[in-house]
Amino acid sequence: MTATVFAMRVVTAVALVFVPLASQVFAAQLATRAEPGTPTTVQQPEPTTREGAIEQAQAVKAAEQHPYEPGKMEALADRAEDALVNGVPRLHPFFSSAYYGGGFTLGAGYAHFVTPFSMIDVRGSYTIRGYKRVEAEFTSPRLFKRRGALSVVGGWREATQAAFYGVGMNTSLDNRTNFDFRQPYGSATLTLWPTRKLLMLRGGLELSRWSQHSGKGGDPPVDAVYTPATLPGLGTKTTYVHAQGTVGFDWRTSPGYSRRGGFYGVTVHDYADPDDRFGFRQLDYEVVQHFPILREAWVISLRAEAETTYTKGDQQIPFFLMPYIGSGHTLRAFTSHRFRDTNRILFQGEWRISVNRFIDTALFYDAGKVTADRTDLDFNDLKSDFGFGVRFHGPFSTPFRVEVAKGSEGARLIVATTPVF
Amino acid sequence: MIWRLLLLVVALAVCTHVVSTARPQFYPDDPIAREPESQDASKAQPHSIGTLYEMANNLFVTSGYTPTGRRAQDINTIDEVPDSSWFTNRVGSTTVSLDDLARGPNRGAPPDPSRWTLTREKTSGAHPGFTAKDAKGETWFLEFDPPYFPEGATGAVVVATKFFWALGYNQVESFLTTFDPDRVDFDPNATLRRPSGARTPFTRDDVDAILERVARRPDGTYRVIAGRLIPGRILGGFLYAGTRPDDPNDIVPHEHRRSLRALRVFGAWTNLTDLKAANTLDTLVMENGRTVVRHILQDVGSTFGMSNDRYEWDLSWEHFYQADATRRRLFSFGFALSPWQTVKYVEYPSIGKFEGDVFDPRTWRPQTPTTAYMELRDDDAFWAARRVAAFTDDMIRTAVHAGEYSDPAAEKYLGDVLIKRRNKIASIYLTAVNPIVSPRLEASGRLTVDNAAFATGVASGPARYHAAWFRFDNATGDTQSIGETESTTATIEAPSALPTAADSFVAVDISVDHEGHPAWRRPVRTHFRRTADGWTLVGLTRLP
Repeated sequence: MTATVFAMRVVTAVALVFVPLASQVFAAQLATRAEPGTPTTVQQPEPTTREGAIEQAQAVKAAEQHPYEPGKMEALADRAEDALVNGVPRLHPFFSSAYYGGGFTLGAGYAHFVTPFSMIDVRGSYTIRGYKRVEAEFTSPRLFKRRGALSVVGGWREATQAAFYGVGMNTSLDNRTNFDFRQPYGSATLTLWPTRKLLMLRGGLELSRWSQHSGKGGDPPVDAVYTPATLPGLGTKTTYVHAQGTVGFDWRTSPGYSRRGGFYGVTVHDYADPDDRFGFRQLDYEVVQHFPILREAWVISLRAEAETTYTKGDQQIPFFLMPYIGSGHTLRAFTSHRFRDTNRILFQGEWRISVNRFIDTALFYDAGKVTADRTDLDFNDLKSDFGFGVRFHGPFSTPFRVEVAKGSEGARLIVATTPVF
Repeated sequence: MIWRLLLLVVALAVCTHVVSTARPQFYPDDPIAREPESQDASKAQPHSIGTLYEMANNLFVTSGYTPTGRRAQDINTIDEVPDSSWFTNRVGSTTVSLDDLARGPNRGAPPDPSRWTLTREKTSGAHPGFTAKDAKGETWFLEFDPPYFPEGATGAVVVATKFFWALGYNQVESFLTTFDPDRVDFDPNATLRRPSGARTPFTRDDVDAILERVARRPDGTYRVIAGRLIPGRILGGFLYAGTRPDDPNDIVPHEHRRSLRALRVFGAWTNLTDLKAANTLDTLVMENGRTVVRHILQDVGSTFGMSNDRYEWDLSWEHFYQADATRRRLFSFGFALSPWQTVKYVEYPSIGKFEGDVFDPRTWRPQTPTTAYMELRDDDAFWAARRVAAFTDDMIRTAVHAGEYSDPAAEKYLGDVLIKRRNKIASIYLTAVNPIVSPRLEASGRLTVDNAAFATGVASGPARYHAAWFRFDNATGDTQSIGETESTTATIEAPSALPTAADSFVAVDISVDHEGHPAWRRPVRTHFRRTADGWTLVGLTRLP
């Protein structure tokens, strides 16, 4: 036997015997309830009973006791939780831009409660393309014994380089022009839940003035390509009285996030132009249905939407208020407002996969078109895309989603702070 | 071989020397029956434990915690948990009658529901409720059933309270009672916190807002669970790790308390999924003229099939976040199914999703893991399983009957599932380690043990019991072999050389040969002290 082998055996044997025995010794010491690291009390007499040993350890701790002090991370999380649960919203971020297509948006708001339930929120945002939005909203969420909510908004917005590619589906990305609009607006919206759930009624009245200007940015301004004769509403300044009413049946858990239930609604709009030039009516139909599968691990979520417009006599529908497809909420692989016309139809289907309680992934397919004639709202010649997305959500909201969509005009990355539907 | 033996002797000598310089292994008062609390804890201060931090920490840090493997530290020398401000030995240790169980923690009179005076919103728990005074002026915390679980949330609280009281935990006195909205007053000082942060008077509309979201009886009244105001100064919840730095008597890290580790087994049995600190409570009370901290499992209502949403399918099958399950579903697009997607439930509205056929206590998961949950060892689970197994069918059905379920089929189903789950826990944990219990050494030298696995019927068949006998020097820890004996029964004769002098000690390593359970061959080390009356068990180590 070599010395090396002998040494290895010694080590092995000591380990085999010492470890279990040492752990027994350790356990015996633990039985005294001494805290790990507690120095053996040299000055104190050895206890003669188990109780005495425990009491000795308690006496040592009594000399060192101190109030609980949370660590930095814990204190930070506690402050965040307190703000989430008990906090009164005051200064807050605001990510809604003036108009789709503005790009990355930054904004802030300040809320102030004027009654225990009602508040005024003053907020503004600015986008990387220079879109601006400033508004104040009064919300009263507890009317008619909690059967109604009122929102009154007043504000102003400007989109400096909103896209217009022409009317209809047969346009090219190369046809892009930019337009600018500025719009002061004031509106009041009353939402009612007469039966507290399922049935939803909403009515709103808005007074606004659209001022359409020549667009900025790298693409040609819209007035360089079109004239008021070829493009309704070009260069116009129009005051609208916009009334709308919605009847809906909503049994989703929340519009912000749901794995079951549905929404079926119809909205009627009336855009009245006091100058009788650009008045029209619009009907929106929307159906959302979630089909849970395998105990909601999968959800097939479907949405169908149609918007139809109706002219008033010889009045025209301005191009900037025409129904459109193309955006992070419609045809996701197409740029914002890629297709505009007087009617639109949109179908969206998602296979949502619950990865865990906070994250869903989704494979999706969008299809839609815009038409000049309502009778053309069918399944023919639809533009479509498909893609994959990741959504971070809570029980009732989807505060962040990232998606990649691929369509006939390429792929797009969508980053949004609202659900697609 | 000779070298190995020599090394063994040397190593033993080294180790026993370590012991000899420390305290004796057994004190005269071992095994203690109660954990002393010698220090005044009146300086303990209230503090709240943030749920967000606790949940995030448990989900993303504790879930990766490597258990120390350390033996529980709140146990006495015979591997039992002594009574303390945390735990009181009841079922499995003492006789708990059916009447005791039906009464549970309730000591005072039930509330008088003929009139309720609302004083505040409810301050804890997931389901809607109020803080109110009954017609006799006593303060209670009222909790209602959600409409999708009629009788469920209230029934779970009252039934689970009985079980956890019998298992040894401090519980809130809870009574099923009635809330009649036509017999409600408002305390003139009663206020509610509004979204603005202001507190404004409690109104009828506030009551209506809550009642619209809860289950209503056909006669217009509401079934509620009333929890009695806990005596003492409220200090906030306790964590399942570390100790309270302001409680001098709290010297055992909570993750090393067997009584808290065992909640992994008790929780699996009753499906107590919500183990957060907010469902616990420390209170400062006077006991025997000294101010001490009492530790309470305050809310055990997240039991059986109760949850905050009727569609929480993965509850009890996965933590709120599990990296492995997340990866599996992410990369398989959900095609890799989890057990909760296929398990069959017989779902009663008053019970929820609770089953016993697919249930496996080893794969059961609370909402978030705790450090104590992670530290559970086989000997802790064995200890816990013995208590679960100590509930007879009658006891289980008595506790369930306290839930006053209007559907007899639901009551029967809940009892059936608890019995199934009890049996699974017993069959898994009582056989995972050497199951000998209650060793008795007669003065004549006859050693008798019980076999917990045989006694509960989860194992059977021939077994051979081995005993290795040693003289034991309590001062030095030295052992000297006396001999080995064995028997085909649970009674084994000692060798003739057993010491007879008073205060002498013997150590006996007891193992069991059983064809189906090789783990039983690992000996349980027992120690006996010789007294005038014979031999007294002073030590039992199931696992070192």
